[in-house]
Amino acid sequence: MRLLPVLAAATLALSGLAACGGNDSNESDASTATSGTVNWWGWTPTDTATANTYIAAFNQKYPDIKVNYKLVNISDWVAALRPALASGNGPDVFDMQPGAYVAQFKSFAEDQTKLAEDALGADWKNKVAPIGISGLTADNKLTALSVGSVYAGMLWLNGDIFKKYNLTAPTTLDEWKHVCSVLKQNKVGCFVQGAAQEGFDQDTLQSIANSVQPGLWSKASTGDAKWTDPGIVKTLAIWKDLFDSGIMQEGAVGYQQYPDANNDFLTGKYGMIMMGTWYTQYATTKAMTAALSAAGVSGAKPFPILPAAFPDVAGAGNTSEMYGDADFGLAISTKSKNKAAAETFVKWMATSSEGQQAIADQLNDIPSVKGVEPDFDKIELVDPATQKGPVEDLITKSASITEPRESLLSADVQTGILAAATSVATGKSTPEDAAKALQQAAEAAGVTFK
Amino acid sequence: MTGTSTPTLHRAASVPDSADGGGRRRGPRRPPGLPWILPALVLSVGLIYYGIGYTGYISTLDWDGISPGPEHVGAHNYTRMLHDPVFWGAVRHTAVFFVLTFVIQTALGLTFACLLHSRLRLSGLYKVIVFVPVVLAPAIMAPVFRHMFAPDGELNAVLRHIGLGDLAQPWIGQTSTALPVIMFITIWEWTGVTFVLYYAAMTQIDPSVLEAARIDGAGNLRTLLSIIWPELRGTTVALAMLGAIGALKTFDVPYLVTIGGPNYATEFLGTYIYRQTIPLSHVGYGAALSIVLLVVALLMALALQFAGREREGR
Repeated sequence: MRLLPVLAAATLALSGLAACGGNDSNESDASTATSGTVNWWGWTPTDTATANTYIAAFNQKYPDIKVNYKLVNISDWVAALRPALASGNGPDVFDMQPGAYVAQFKSFAEDQTKLAEDALGADWKNKVAPIGISGLTADNKLTALSVGSVYAGMLWLNGDIFKKYNLTAPTTLDEWKHVCSVLKQNKVGCFVQGAAQEGFDQDTLQSIANSVQPGLWSKASTGDAKWTDPGIVKTLAIWKDLFDSGIMQEGAVGYQQYPDANNDFLTGKYGMIMMGTWYTQYATTKAMTAALSAAGVSGAKPFPILPAAFPDVAGAGNTSEMYGDADFGLAISTKSKNKAAAETFVKWMATSSEGQQAIADQLNDIPSVKGVEPDFDKIELVDPATQKGPVEDLITKSASITEPRESLLSADVQTGILAAATSVATGKSTPEDAAKALQQAAEAAGVTFK
Repeated sequence: MTGTSTPTLHRAASVPDSADGGGRRRGPRRPPGLPWILPALVLSVGLIYYGIGYTGYISTLDWDGISPGPEHVGAHNYTRMLHDPVFWGAVRHTAVFFVLTFVIQTALGLTFACLLHSRLRLSGLYKVIVFVPVVLAPAIMAPVFRHMFAPDGELNAVLRHIGLGDLAQPWIGQTSTALPVIMFITIWEWTGVTFVLYYAAMTQIDPSVLEAARIDGAGNLRTLLSIIWPELRGTTVALAMLGAIGALKTFDVPYLVTIGGPNYATEFLGTYIYRQTIPLSHVGYGAALSIVLLVVALLMALALQFAGREREGR
């Protein structure tokens, strides 16, 4: 009788092991290179309409591969993806971003080096943007094929508001304050930021740091400079000034960039927002109309948005350089049961001329493959007369950017940056103390400093 | 009452056994209990206690939750807690949150229960109104409150409209007001439960006692303080216990409304455990925080129960 529980336990254990074995990556593929179902999870494209545009273009060539896109808000991304991938019932294809996400999910991603070679030849590295390879490679494994890159470090302006009040894009801190005072006199919000989200605080801080001392932010990220460097302390002091002088909206540290700040900008409550090249898509009538609808504005007239360089807030004469990373690569789950179809989809998106052209024409990402550019004859801008020049200049300028955006920072350091940013903004810490706390957080996270 | 009767029954049951000298038992043979409790035992031991034990084990690891080779770090995760200002901030917020929400909910719940026990017109409607927030999911209400307390939200609009524009402020966007907002939402949400329990407990008070008090000349306030409130002590202790455990487990409202911010001003143990475990992948540290949360919850429940019994004994 005593044997029974032992046998039962052994049976359970064996069945458990068998179940684990069932999730092994060597399991037979349910798809082929031309047919099957691919479940793709991503935080970007941030609207399913854009993703469905890509999928529709893909299906013109591969009609028998069904691709289901599931949009997950970036704030829920880790919480949703981790158990999904670990369970074996998650996505076949998922978005991958350089930095913390690569560190967290690299073990679930197939090495795509061979896929890249098959698609673009042995010299594939020369055919794609280098920023898309380095950030997505970990432990000598190419965890994802870069679909496109994004760059940040500039402002977006509401063209209608600036035109109405006869304003021009600010180029210095004083001009920025002047623009804000004019807008406030007219009961229009000036600049809106979701300062409760670390990624967007980092963008603003990195831009300020680039105005103080170009390259310092990246040096601190890699450990070549300390976060207590006087340049970083000055960066935090200017950051604080943005709040004290009323450039930042009231209550910014309680705002999320998405949806709060984004919705407020799109609904015309504010004249400026800090977003990257991914915002270029809203220069088009189609995406702007969809975004306005998503922001809860019914029957609203799309307005032209214009990119503008981040002001020289330090007054040191430094043009605040932009920075960027691969926006997202597409990773293939090691536990996918539809790998053949997933590879076809990823290859098409990341390396084919049709796929990359679809990416380029959406203006959400700068395509990964070199030489692919948006076809402005097919893209309908809200106000081509004012937007075409600045948008084309932005895309041209992006091609030469080499400074990383988030790929050098771990999740712990990002948390430390958010803590420093919000503690300074709320007056709980001085810039010096916040810089010290950030340095301690980076050291605790394992960053070694020279 | 149970304090005196139970030992007597135990002694009575034990006498025949000892007299029997351990021999045959008299009376109908009772079936063994194990098969009856086995399903519940498997469920609770298998799920709950195994889960607690496994969490205790994980709390000794430096692990991201998915890597194959976690590192054993002994009690490091616990000692780390001692020097973690966010953890102590979360403990402080929990204590303040418990005290204020419990006191205000008790006062409001008791007031509503007293009022609705009097002959009030449309009392059925008022009961529904007070209780409705309990059944509304926080996930549904969170966006409403985010909007209501936004700088250009309804609260500030009302303040400006009635000439109190100077009081308008970014309620959830500053450290000084974010926690009170979270407490306000919680009180709004849970006062209905306090009210229902007090209302039910009041129906158990012997009407003749109240009548006697009236005949002796006690007014409303005197009756409330000297008759009703002491009779409700058991309910109050139970509510305090639930409130304490609820405060320790607080997660949904601060996470959905403020994400624990700004600058950790609304960080609770629940939100901090989530922050460490999921976005930051410090599963070991998150487990250690969970174990501390469990221990504190148990100690608090025991302390409140002990305090309640002591008072009852006096």
